[in-house]
Amino acid sequence: MTVAGQNPSFVLKKVHEVSFEERPIPKLSGPRDVRIEIKQTGICGSDVHYYTHGAIGSFIVKSPMVLGHESAGVVAEAGSAVTSLKVGDRVALEPGIPCRYCDHCKAGFYNLCADMKFAATPPYDGTLCRYYVLPEDFCVKLPDTVSLEEGALIEPLSVAVHVSKLAKITPGSSAIVFGAGPVGLLCCAVAKAFGATTITAVDLVQARLDLAKEVAATHTFIPTRGDSAAESAAKIKELLGGKAPQFAIDASGAAASVNTAIHVLAQGGIYVQAGMGASEITFPITEFTIKELHAHGSFRYGPGDYQLAVELVASGRVDVKKLITHRVKFEDAEEAFKLVVKGQGVKILIGGPIV
Amino acid sequence: MTINQNYSLVLQKVNHLSFEDRPKPVIVNETDVIVQILATGICGSDVHFYAHGCIGDFVVKKPLILGHESAGIVTKVGSEVTKVMVGDKICLEPGTPCHVCSLCLRGQYNHCAKMHFAAAPPVDGTLTKYFKIAETFCYKLPDNVSVDEGALMEPLSVAVHAVREAKITPGSSVVVFGAGPVGLLVAAVARNAYGASLTVIVDINEERLKFAKENFGVETYLSIKGRTAKEAGDNLVDVFDLNSERGFEFAIDATGVPYCIQSALYTLRPRGSFVQIGMGADNAELPISTICFHELNVRGSFRYNGGDFEQAVGLVARGIVDVKKLISSKVKFSQAKDAFEFVRQGKGLKTLISGPE
Repeated sequence: MTVAGQNPSFVLKKVHEVSFEERPIPKLSGPRDVRIEIKQTGICGSDVHYYTHGAIGSFIVKSPMVLGHESAGVVAEAGSAVTSLKVGDRVALEPGIPCRYCDHCKAGFYNLCADMKFAATPPYDGTLCRYYVLPEDFCVKLPDTVSLEEGALIEPLSVAVHVSKLAKITPGSSAIVFGAGPVGLLCCAVAKAFGATTITAVDLVQARLDLAKEVAATHTFIPTRGDSAAESAAKIKELLGGKAPQFAIDASGAAASVNTAIHVLAQGGIYVQAGMGASEITFPITEFTIKELHAHGSFRYGPGDYQLAVELVASGRVDVKKLITHRVKFEDAEEAFKLVVKGQGVKILIGGPIV
Repeated sequence: MTINQNYSLVLQKVNHLSFEDRPKPVIVNETDVIVQILATGICGSDVHFYAHGCIGDFVVKKPLILGHESAGIVTKVGSEVTKVMVGDKICLEPGTPCHVCSLCLRGQYNHCAKMHFAAAPPVDGTLTKYFKIAETFCYKLPDNVSVDEGALMEPLSVAVHAVREAKITPGSSVVVFGAGPVGLLVAAVARNAYGASLTVIVDINEERLKFAKENFGVETYLSIKGRTAKEAGDNLVDVFDLNSERGFEFAIDATGVPYCIQSALYTLRPRGSFVQIGMGADNAELPISTICFHELNVRGSFRYNGGDFEQAVGLVARGIVDVKKLISSKVKFSQAKDAFEFVRQGKGLKTLISGPE
């Protein structure tokens, strides 16, 4: 497998079948675009899911597609109307281009645009390649103190920022996060940055919870197999000295987590669904109604989330480096996918192609 | 039977109602009010206690006076009462919280752990001659509002609370599942008071839908068998021409039926809001991925709290919501047992029971 060329790209041809291909160097589509040379890309569960299943919901890989969407790089070319960036600037990429004209875009909910072109969501190519083009307003410049590796973590951190803003986490509060994978860990970190003083991380794996404690969690909990959601919730409340949390985030997609979250929340509490698992689950609707809970779905990120994520890293309030467990070269990209499939590591970075 | 002091309708045990004379309530705190009950509406929860003896953790362990949707005339006031006077027509907010816990102080008193709610065991209800209530939970009815309408203020407050939770805005599109009293009132409040431009009520009962259209001016949709919840949701969006907007802005469930809750979520546009009022099964299969991908806003609504009753009374007094239309019959107190059976069989819309003579 050769990686030489102008724009080597890591392509998913079909399930479990990847290859390196030479793709044309993308051109700027307008004067407000920049072309970025990709230096670091993290892999996400969704990339791996396309690798193992070829589809997520109604998004099906029908023709070869470049993977990857969590990237940082260096500006290689800037359009004539670009004012905020110049060649040589290091940036984090927000790799989804909305239409800008529909009702959702105009209301600021561009993440919900029906015509969103998102990197590595079929049929649009992703960022595991040499060059990628984006409008300047979907790139955030990295301050000198923020590395390109940290830049690749800005995408999942922005997911966590979006979740935490929807939850409206308040200072001095108690938050619980189900799932201590990268998104869950980052939600703990952002909850802390937003002022939560009690942060409980829930997972089945002790090693993940140990990392959660290093990152931001004040309490951790492993549910006992066989316990009902109500039983787990009672144990969690006991762990928290009898005080139910006001905020709950699910970053696991597991039905048991969703149910436990609803049972453990205080009256009037807020629940945010970030994790994606089964499309339908059994939900404790009466408990939810009687406690007047407020649930909100969360999908990717929107205006201001990337900027806040960069600010959190630059100011030292969130340390994303703790999540990086493996680094591989571009030509070893498939190894990275296999590691994630085996459930190893937390965040694995793939270097950009060196030509 | 001689009416001695305080004739009351008591649930002895499941399926067994009887009339008992109970002691007359007296002023305990100087902010108490004694009201002679003149009209009480029967609610699904009253009937549920009658037929099953429990709702969730509330179990009827000793004889219980039923009823909580009432209005009447003030007969006695404590020395510090200033809000109402003897002779005033009032409606009652039938739940007394502790007023001092952190939930009460935050205004979420409907969740007070020490809530004493009329007809939720072991607290006696309002199907009695005289009832004691704190002045803060009495709401004076203006001259143009009857006690019969006063008995509808409690379910109307449930509707007002849900619409406020949903944060319905003028010009919006709203779909309400369930054309029973609560669903009808929610639709009326959303349309008449909150300015919804499109209000649709969904039900399986054609007669109830016809009633809804004729009396409340709402659009209707008959839910038919054989469709999945997603098909039903998509069809609703299609029929009401909301495809370009990608769905309704607000959906409210007043049925508690899982199929309705699922359909409701499928009718919503991205970032749409759903409020659950109806109580049915403990658990329902929900399309959680739809909630996630469309960033839906989903809230529970339970009873009412600060400002809901005042708003309800105002809506009726100004003729914005006509609650009289919901009253399908009014019976004498002595016929109360028959009335419970009648409602239990699913007959009528809102049946009122007069106070004991």
